[in-house]
Amino acid sequence: MTHPADIIRSTARLRPTALLRTTSLALIITVLFLPFLPLLIWSFAQGWYFPQLVPTQWTLANWAGLASAGSRVGQGFVQSLVIAGISTVLALLVGLPAGRALGLMEFPGKGAIKLFLLLPIIVSPLATLMGIQFVLIRLGLSGTLVGVVLVHLLPTIPYMTLVLSSVYANFDPGYEAQARSLGASPSQVLRTVTLPLIAPGVVVGALFAFLISWNEFLLTFFVGSGRVFTLPMVLFTSLQGGNTGLTAAIAITSIIPAVVFLLFSSQALQNDAAIGGLGDV
Amino acid sequence: MSETAYFSMQNLTKQFRGTAAVQDLWLDVQAGERIALLGPSGCGKSTTLQLIAGILRPDRGQIWLNGRSLNRVPTERREIALVLQKGLLFPHLSVGENVAFGLRMRGVSRAEQVERAIAMLDQVQLSGFENRKPSELSGGQAQRVALARSLVIQPKVLLLDEPLSALDASLRGDMQELILRLQAETGVTLLVVTHDQSESAVMAHRIALMFDGRLRQVDTPEALYQNPVDESVARFFGGVNFFAADAQQHRLTLAEGERLITHYPHHGTVHITIRPEHIHVMADRVCGANLLPATLIHSRFTGTQRHLTLRTSAGLQLQAWVPPSQQFAVGQSVFAHLPPEALWVFPGSATAAAPSPMAQV
Repeated sequence: MTHPADIIRSTARLRPTALLRTTSLALIITVLFLPFLPLLIWSFAQGWYFPQLVPTQWTLANWAGLASAGSRVGQGFVQSLVIAGISTVLALLVGLPAGRALGLMEFPGKGAIKLFLLLPIIVSPLATLMGIQFVLIRLGLSGTLVGVVLVHLLPTIPYMTLVLSSVYANFDPGYEAQARSLGASPSQVLRTVTLPLIAPGVVVGALFAFLISWNEFLLTFFVGSGRVFTLPMVLFTSLQGGNTGLTAAIAITSIIPAVVFLLFSSQALQNDAAIGGLGDV
Repeated sequence: MSETAYFSMQNLTKQFRGTAAVQDLWLDVQAGERIALLGPSGCGKSTTLQLIAGILRPDRGQIWLNGRSLNRVPTERREIALVLQKGLLFPHLSVGENVAFGLRMRGVSRAEQVERAIAMLDQVQLSGFENRKPSELSGGQAQRVALARSLVIQPKVLLLDEPLSALDASLRGDMQELILRLQAETGVTLLVVTHDQSESAVMAHRIALMFDGRLRQVDTPEALYQNPVDESVARFFGGVNFFAADAQQHRLTLAEGERLITHYPHHGTVHITIRPEHIHVMADRVCGANLLPATLIHSRFTGTQRHLTLRTSAGLQLQAWVPPSQQFAVGQSVFAHLPPEALWVFPGSATAAAPSPMAQV
């Protein structure tokens, strides 16, 4: 929902420096999206070899192959979506209370816990994977969706918690006390006051967690044991197979959720009343 | 305490990491009464407010409202509304939605929410502001919206935490008047926390003075100014003249040798005080008791008063505040008149012993 006032404000902002803004915007877009151009060309090319500046023959076969029954792209896409979705929700369930505790409260050992949270980011998963795999095999979770979701929580929970702790550090709990004294129950406070105010931070945290899980290859590769087949694994297999055109098509497909997520959340990020520690993104 | 009090705190105690923020607080409040919780910062007055609102739980003690113990009642069902210093309007809601918030939480119909919120905004002179965002309001307007938001739910007790301290001096008087007017119209029992003694005197029927987590004196503003229980209370209310003396009923002999008469009979070693504005200074001797010859040492003009420092022939130093129309030259011989009714004697020793829990008298 766009407020009329917002439109007026943004057009008013455009006028004086319109030219400069448009130029720099075009530059940013070019820099950001130029690397994707070869991918796009490749996905429509039927062979593209060195001396050619552009492919001589174009085809839709790569995109058709993507949707064909034999390809595992559809299956991988759905599995990635499910795993990233569940990981994000679980990371949120842990990150919201943990981020609140770290951001708002003082308690002994807080510094140690913050450092401990960073460990999965600092320590390479290569070093821990053997041990994790061993435990998951004993638990019978190796090669299962549950097992993959569990290992995806390793990198997602720290990111989520760190983002949300900085969001909560900017949150005045006085709002909650105020709402309670006006007659709001704790669950009403959460729904009507706390969540709307921290929404941008939650969106950013969820975006991080989702994309980390979505792009995760190594953990899925080991723990999934080939039975859990996410989109990065489809991509990797295709890359190994040497089919550049199909690989390019898969790579482009893998960007879709991030773009959708960003478009979907930009409204929440722009809400200047809410606090997210990000200001104008 | 008495079971007839509308709202009372009994033996209320709250500690943070072993230090008492509030210690054995007893206070009875009548329905519709205005009480100021006054004290220097860190004296426990805001903690007391949070205990009453239910944001903090007391370690010990009871809070009673209208014959019901509030100890196990959660904040949202206490019917006690809190207005914090910063106002804390919900930034994601419009002014109207802010005012209607408590009604919405209570499941009041949408039409009634709108109607009552608009009527309430009208009462705080903010008609037509319902569609604005809190970020578009000035500090004074935001504070008035916060007040409206708390009063629209018709609370039994309204708690104000330093409601004027965030406002410009020019707005404070208006806000004070508005709070007093709304309190009179609604009849709500009011507890206002402040560190400013003159603000507390304007706002409250009775002032509860707190030092170091303890209530030191609960009394009318006049009594706190004229009849403080000890020197620390007198000093907090701007007292500057303190003398040791020996009392024989109404007769006082000061350590410096001056003899004075007071209206407050005592016996033995006492401390006495007189407020600087109660000392009359004159150039010529007149008849009467408590007339001390003195020399003017200092004179400071403050705009509304002259602050004079006098030294009596016996070496007693006095601060006297006189109207600007009275002009004296430094070094001039004058006479200081200390009216017997203004010469207050501290009961017991002046070094304030532990205040009794019955400090409310």
